[in-house]
Amino acid sequence: MSSTLGVLSDAERLFIVHGVQDDLRSDGRACEDYRHVQVETDVVSNTSGSARLRLGNTDILVGVKAEMGEPDPGRPKEGKLEFFVDCSANASPEFEGRGGEELAIEVSNALQRIFNSRSTLDLTALCIIPEGQCWVLYVDVLVLECGGNLFDAVSLAVKAALFNTRIPTVVVTADDEGQQEIELSDDPYDVKRLDVDNVPLIVTLSKIGHRHVVDASWEEELCSLARLTVGVTQKGTIAGLNKEGSGSLDPESIYEMIESGKKVGMVLNSRLKEALEKEENSKREKIGFLG
Amino acid sequence: MPTDSRRVPGPQDSRSPHWYGKHATRQEGDTRPDGRGDHDLRPVYLHAGVVSQATGSAYIEMGQTKVIAAVYGPREIARREEFTMKGRLCCELKFATFACRRRRQHIQDNQEKDGALIVLQALEPAVCLDRFPKSQVDVYITVLQDDGSALAAAITCAAAGLADAGVMMYDIVAGCSVRQCGERQLLDPSVGEELSQEGESAEDHGMVTVGLLPSLNQVSALTLDGHLQQQTAVQAVKTCIGGCQGIYPILKDCLVTSTRKKIPALDPKSSHASTEGQNGQT
Repeated sequence: MSSTLGVLSDAERLFIVHGVQDDLRSDGRACEDYRHVQVETDVVSNTSGSARLRLGNTDILVGVKAEMGEPDPGRPKEGKLEFFVDCSANASPEFEGRGGEELAIEVSNALQRIFNSRSTLDLTALCIIPEGQCWVLYVDVLVLECGGNLFDAVSLAVKAALFNTRIPTVVVTADDEGQQEIELSDDPYDVKRLDVDNVPLIVTLSKIGHRHVVDASWEEELCSLARLTVGVTQKGTIAGLNKEGSGSLDPESIYEMIESGKKVGMVLNSRLKEALEKEENSKREKIGFLG
Repeated sequence: MPTDSRRVPGPQDSRSPHWYGKHATRQEGDTRPDGRGDHDLRPVYLHAGVVSQATGSAYIEMGQTKVIAAVYGPREIARREEFTMKGRLCCELKFATFACRRRRQHIQDNQEKDGALIVLQALEPAVCLDRFPKSQVDVYITVLQDDGSALAAAITCAAAGLADAGVMMYDIVAGCSVRQCGERQLLDPSVGEELSQEGESAEDHGMVTVGLLPSLNQVSALTLDGHLQQQTAVQAVKTCIGGCQGIYPILKDCLVTSTRKKIPALDPKSSHASTEGQNGQT
């Protein structure tokens, strides 16, 4: 993944590695500091929920569309979540055509992994008629700019968009012959929302030299051979974990990385919740893409 | 759903009758359905050199899970790209259409692509890629039957195939999975244990797969699905590493056997005493 984003000279690499060793990175952060995050919800009017997120130079737009479909035969009483990631050629010329496909699959699999568990999102709330109809939430992720730490940014944006998602209320009535009919509420404000408290966020820990950093910029990603993407919930549970990159890791350092991932993830979760609630309660004018 | 226009597709919405049956649930008890203890591996059969056309190959059985891997190369990169000093490793993972309970499609689906990537990243740290510049090594893995821990079996099998192909490696890779159900840790789970909903409501439930370079003690693959507390997650990884260490002797044994077969001078009849020395060579 990182090789598509450019090259780094040996001197630059050494500078970054030494900086990380002394807990002072090239942009002045410590090893466990995040960059500034800007998040705005409800930015695309044609969606059920949307969010735009900037993390450093990484720019993500997420749209959630709720449609009705049939549930999986194995889980007849649950709705479905589908993730699609699109690395647009805006982000990098390498993504043109099918170039971004591999990265897109990696990201959507990472999302799939953290949403895999039943305790993440109450999918039974998305059921309309058991074994008949359910809500299918299409979560479309558009990568507008790639400035490092894509996984974390995408998971933050997805959680924000799900927080913002409003699903119209439908009423199921049975007519005289026992046929079930679905009726959509006329009131556009008659909606239900999702409980996103248990939705995990991804924290990527990149191993650089003998230490690890969170929220690596793209230069730092080039210096790192092995990364650990850790899904962390608000309560600090580890929800999904994957090692990425072409390097290997020492067991001891894995345990350390999981621990710091948990610590950072919990803070990140509570900050995001704060920010989303604050945004919703304030009557601030939308900035959109002009900001 | 992606379809292949060159094949005659089956009916679009057919379903296996198993969906309508009751899922077998495990009884509460100390032993597992096959009588193993929680931290026991299933019997493993590993054999290298099963595909004569390939540079190297291996076949593994872990209980009823059956995986075959073939390695081709190092060979020229098909579509010449930029000059690279490092070789390239390519990995393809495919479940046979009849390998699982539900029928799989011929086209690689997302789960298979994800598995291929995990196996690739598990093997990459072990292979001396700088020893074959400008060329690539292809690893093709087919899961013939999935009875749980297919990914772990694929990692072990692919590594044995690579070693059998004579690709230079720093170390071999052994794979192992653990299923966490509440308090219990089940090593090398079977498919029934993987899919069982026991402990789904408990705080800790999930599946961990680890790829280990045993003699360097480095973890080259690690994936966790589900929800685990930090302490449990660490414990599960440790259990997996223990399982990988258990598979290591089998891997060594298999490679010694296949190497002996290739070199007539090392025929087992003529040299019994040199077994000890051979182990180090792999």
